[in-house]
Amino acid sequence: MATHAAEHSHDDHAHDDHDHKPHGFINRWVFSTNHKDIGTLYLIFSFTMACIGAAFSGVIRTELMKPGLQFVQPYFFNQMTTMHALVMIFGAIMPAFVGLANWMIPLQIGAPDMALPRMNNWSFWILPFAFTMLLSTLFMPGGAPAGGWTMYPPLAIQGGNSVAFLVFSVHLMGISSIMGAINIIATILNMRAPGMDLLKMPVFVWSWLITAFLLIAVMPVLAGAVTMLLTDKYFGTSFFNAAGGGDPVMFQHVFWFFGHPEVYIMILPAFGIVSEIIPTFSRKPLFGYQAMVFAIASIAFLSFIVWGHHMFTVGMPLGGELYFMFATMLIAVPTGVKVFNWVSTMWGGSLSFETPMLWAISFVILFTIGGFSGLMLALVPADFQYQDTYFVVAHFHYVLVTGALFAIIGAIYYWWPKWTGKMYNETWAKVHFWWSVVFINILFFPQHFLGLAGMPRRIPDYNVAFADWNLVSTIGAYGMFLTPIMMFAILWQSKKSGAPATMHVWEASHGLEWTVPSPAPFHTFATPPLIHDEDLAHGDITH
Amino acid sequence: MTSTHANQQQRAGIRRTAWIVGGIAFGMFVLFIVKQFIWH
Repeated sequence: MATHAAEHSHDDHAHDDHDHKPHGFINRWVFSTNHKDIGTLYLIFSFTMACIGAAFSGVIRTELMKPGLQFVQPYFFNQMTTMHALVMIFGAIMPAFVGLANWMIPLQIGAPDMALPRMNNWSFWILPFAFTMLLSTLFMPGGAPAGGWTMYPPLAIQGGNSVAFLVFSVHLMGISSIMGAINIIATILNMRAPGMDLLKMPVFVWSWLITAFLLIAVMPVLAGAVTMLLTDKYFGTSFFNAAGGGDPVMFQHVFWFFGHPEVYIMILPAFGIVSEIIPTFSRKPLFGYQAMVFAIASIAFLSFIVWGHHMFTVGMPLGGELYFMFATMLIAVPTGVKVFNWVSTMWGGSLSFETPMLWAISFVILFTIGGFSGLMLALVPADFQYQDTYFVVAHFHYVLVTGALFAIIGAIYYWWPKWTGKMYNETWAKVHFWWSVVFINILFFPQHFLGLAGMPRRIPDYNVAFADWNLVSTIGAYGMFLTPIMMFAILWQSKKSGAPATMHVWEASHGLEWTVPSPAPFHTFATPPLIHDEDLAHGDITH
Repeated sequence: MTSTHANQQQRAGIRRTAWIVGGIAFGMFVLFIVKQFIWH
């Protein structure tokens, strides 16, 4: 375990970090305005939602273990696919990144807290209500939403009153995300310590600044689209009702104008995390810092002009299909820059393979697999074959699980000692990693074969020709279900009886977050830190 | 909705940033509702 050999006794700006925690559970957690506590709340919420979403996927994979209907009725199966997606996207992945942003952005830019701490509290506490509302639909007559997370009309509004619950919970999630994004932008643009120039900020902070603008631009569009769904169902409008002069395809355009940037909202912070971890364990500055920042910005820009690639088979003019195909393939350029730079950072470095580094390297490899299958799907003629097959399911799970989720887990193992002041059991953490990386590939890789062979997605039953790989995939899923338990046990043991962490935690860690004691005190940087460029990961951008 | 930690100078900047960014968000919402009425 790489730890800093010599603990600095006390840094020059921690002297005013008095521990003024609010008294009492309610005051501390329900009325919290502290960025660290709110970050913790987000992460706990996200973990809870991930477990619920995993339970839904358990129903899906169990039903698909063998051909034929075994355990659930098709309508309930459809509810599971819909709820699994909604819970994982809006309840697990996004709040996890917001939790990491809350914890780390003020620490990384030398700010005492988020710019709008009370709004921060509100952003978080909306979420449990939103998801209680969404999950309650499972117990309603008619059940939960079953038309897919994409909510395409007319299918999505033909369900029961779960539609209204879904729409209102999406509104609440949107409000939470928009307030969170406003807070992050206001914090980064106004609260940086003197000397923390924009192009000296850690890449994680940059990735979140850009992500927050994506959220600001697209969450209101989703809110508008679902509001129109609501009025179509309950107030007699015909925005998406062809019989009344509306256009159901228009919903798809509006939804994917939100939906594609949403995909990048879930991956750009992951890029930031990996750009923090790899330099630390390569003992080298990040290769091409500025190129990394511009690549994130380019990907964000491109994400707004490629939504049509989700709709190739819906029908659009040939010129439109060609445009969306080429624009989509353009994204491979900045993404390639990033992968090249991560590899170049490791190249010639003095590498060590602590747990966070293992997650980061697996991210680079496995996310790239997801990127390549995305490139295949971007080809219009090929997409006509792949569309609505398990190939698409394999593609986006490589991007979102081995991409976004692996980066989140890597980030937790990377910053956990700073948060808690405790190290975790490195051997068990590595077992957790290897177990996950083996079973996730057993789970999702065969789905490429199933898709290419023609197995459709969103079905509870299938042709016997697909039986073998479905069984393999389900075995992978059952292996993966042990990983949250494993991770919980590792972190619980660390919190209870882990070895104390040093201030720097990792031998080659750079950045302001490593200049405060471990655990990070309740209040940090009450007076702005004196910034020495050599303390920063990117203090000298001429590297 | 002011900050408990930011200094006086930062507060003005935070307020300005929050209104601009919030305005963009609200603008996108209105834009898409209006667009939908014109082109649906």
